[in-house]
Amino acid sequence: MQSSPLELARKLDEEGYLIDPVTATTLFLSLALDKPCLIEGPAGVGKTQLALALARAEKRRLIRLQCYEGLDLSKALYDWNYAKQLLRLQLAKTEEWDEIKFDLFSEEFLLSRPLLEAILSSEPVLLLIDELDKSDEEFESFLLELLAERQVSIPELGTISSKTKPIVILTSNNSRDFSDALRRRCIHIYLTYPSLDREISILRAHAPELADSLVRDVCEFVAKVRKLPLQKLPSVSETIDYARALKALQLEELNYANLLGTLSVLLKYPKDIAKLEERLKKWETESRQSKDNQ
Amino acid sequence: MGAMNGWTFIRLINALRQVSLSISSQDILDAETCLARYPEIPPKQILRSLFIHRPQDTGVFETVWRIVVGCSEFLNSEVSKDTSVKKDLENNNSPGIGGQGTGRGTGGISLTNSGDILDSAKISRMISLSRIEELVGSEQEFEDVVKKILTDLDYFTWINSFDLAYQRGSLSEDDWILHHNARATIINEIQQQILTVQVRHYNSWEPVVRQHWLYKSLSLLSEEEKELVKSSIKKWTRKLALKQGARWKSSKKGTIDIAQIIRQSVQWDGHFFKLYFRHKIPQVPELVVLCDVSNSMASFVEFLIYVVTCFRERIRKVRILFFIDSIWDVTEFVWNEELTEVKQEIKSWGHKVSSGFSDYGAVFKELAEKKLQGISSQAVLVILGDGKNNYHQAQAEYLAQIAEKVRKVFWLNPLEKNEWSEPDNTMKDYQIYCSKVYRCRTARDLQIIVQDVF
Repeated sequence: MQSSPLELARKLDEEGYLIDPVTATTLFLSLALDKPCLIEGPAGVGKTQLALALARAEKRRLIRLQCYEGLDLSKALYDWNYAKQLLRLQLAKTEEWDEIKFDLFSEEFLLSRPLLEAILSSEPVLLLIDELDKSDEEFESFLLELLAERQVSIPELGTISSKTKPIVILTSNNSRDFSDALRRRCIHIYLTYPSLDREISILRAHAPELADSLVRDVCEFVAKVRKLPLQKLPSVSETIDYARALKALQLEELNYANLLGTLSVLLKYPKDIAKLEERLKKWETESRQSKDNQ
Repeated sequence: MGAMNGWTFIRLINALRQVSLSISSQDILDAETCLARYPEIPPKQILRSLFIHRPQDTGVFETVWRIVVGCSEFLNSEVSKDTSVKKDLENNNSPGIGGQGTGRGTGGISLTNSGDILDSAKISRMISLSRIEELVGSEQEFEDVVKKILTDLDYFTWINSFDLAYQRGSLSEDDWILHHNARATIINEIQQQILTVQVRHYNSWEPVVRQHWLYKSLSLLSEEEKELVKSSIKKWTRKLALKQGARWKSSKKGTIDIAQIIRQSVQWDGHFFKLYFRHKIPQVPELVVLCDVSNSMASFVEFLIYVVTCFRERIRKVRILFFIDSIWDVTEFVWNEELTEVKQEIKSWGHKVSSGFSDYGAVFKELAEKKLQGISSQAVLVILGDGKNNYHQAQAEYLAQIAEKVRKVFWLNPLEKNEWSEPDNTMKDYQIYCSKVYRCRTARDLQIIVQDVF
């Protein structure tokens, strides 16, 4: 547990995640209040990365639950190990029913899935529930108990509450709105694309082999591209890929004229690429004009 | 209570609740704990972290904070980025391109270092507070006040000069973006100031609520708010769109039809040789959307079409008809193209084919005589129009004829209810033939319509 947002930011920085001060404060408060943290934002801005870095910074084991449509309790929380129960019954042919009926539904025959694992764990853990918006609404309602009280109810065993208070991080791509009940229980962080300076430092941290001038050019270019009305804007990881791609082509700096053909690294929809190519021609003439003026 | 005055705190919470932020008592308790425990963190950051539960609430929080606490650091870094452009506004120069080339893309660093900082405080000094007070005092509408203040600032001459420069091609793309940001900053600043004055004048939070995107007229939304409304529409419709009709129909694909299989297997003594499938038939059989696309209506049409496209899977057949004084079938076009292009098309079509003044009577006549035979008797007709007939004849008998043929007629009207009975408005003549008439002015109205109509 850090004592101030600044320290938290520094710790995350050491783990390779650059966080902006406002987000750091919010995250810090959620840790201080022991409340789950709901991170929203477009794809590829580092929501999951933030959770991973936080786990490393806090020295907690990460337990990850990837949500998808149709995810149910037997995959997220617990299941009974039927095969083992059957074996137990076969071995116990001679015993009295009264003796075995209790321990058939004991923790020994319980298969713990990520959520239960996080609750039962004796060491402190960080529970990451990834892309919660993909799950069904029933699952969301079920989570409420876990989020507010850090406990789960299993009909055969009763209520199990956590010993070590896991940190809970939820991420969402915003494809579906959550209920007020869920939002109320969480501290909310909205991550968006990093500012130019921050993106440059991220690139420097993740790809130190790249030349400074190239990094700056690429980041400026990407920031410009993000202002266009595209179907999917380039994410941070795509910026890194793109800078590496230009390096592989042995370009020292970014020149609008020779970018055609490289754009598919940055953008993933043919329509978007066509739009950008059109703009590139315009930018190219503009930059040539401004050079002539100088 | 630490860094924050308790009275301010209570007033803030009260105000936020009035402008539809939900703040639970647990939130307040948490806020108090944090304020007491971490006096070194700015209280605004603490409260923002704890009270905002959905991203779209940030804007209204900023507004309320500014009015209640009134700090000078209201503008976050994002808005106050592009400062040197505003210098042009003050000096009223022709667009100065020279100095701005360095800060391309994101501005910020190089611009602020260059020395000619013109922050929001300076804009607010440019706006005369007494003038706003005078305008608000005379009970003018919010949008009118904004326009008048902008005129006072010579804002429109300023943006015109930029528009022209951009069209000539003498303004680069970067500068154009910078300029747009500057526009947004100025307008935002003026709106904030007016809201502050209005809240004080009326002594209620009503003006702020009215500016909330959910309650604001759809035609006055900014680009970001439009996106917000669209994404909300998507969410509202998603649930309904998944809900299919109750009736089943056998088909070659779909889920296995056990009843049918067993029924068939009887004749083979319990063996079955063939699988049968069935699927649900969409509940809404046919939807005919009739939109008035005269100038005043364009922004509302955009949202209605968006709603309809979200529903396309539930509806068996959709026809979209635009009209001003005659009908134009755009079904094919709207379905395949992006909406922005549709808007362009409406404009060019409007100039070519029509006088630009809507004539509902003629349109209903045309619909009844030419198109009605092609429309199923199970169809639902949704009409979007303000009912202003420009003193043409109402010819309501044709709407009656149409209403008899189709299953239901819904009329969505973007005007306030009291405007429906104005002399040139034919709403009262048509109303009796409609199954239901809705006011369709704000995103909130749309939400109700989505639940009721579809």
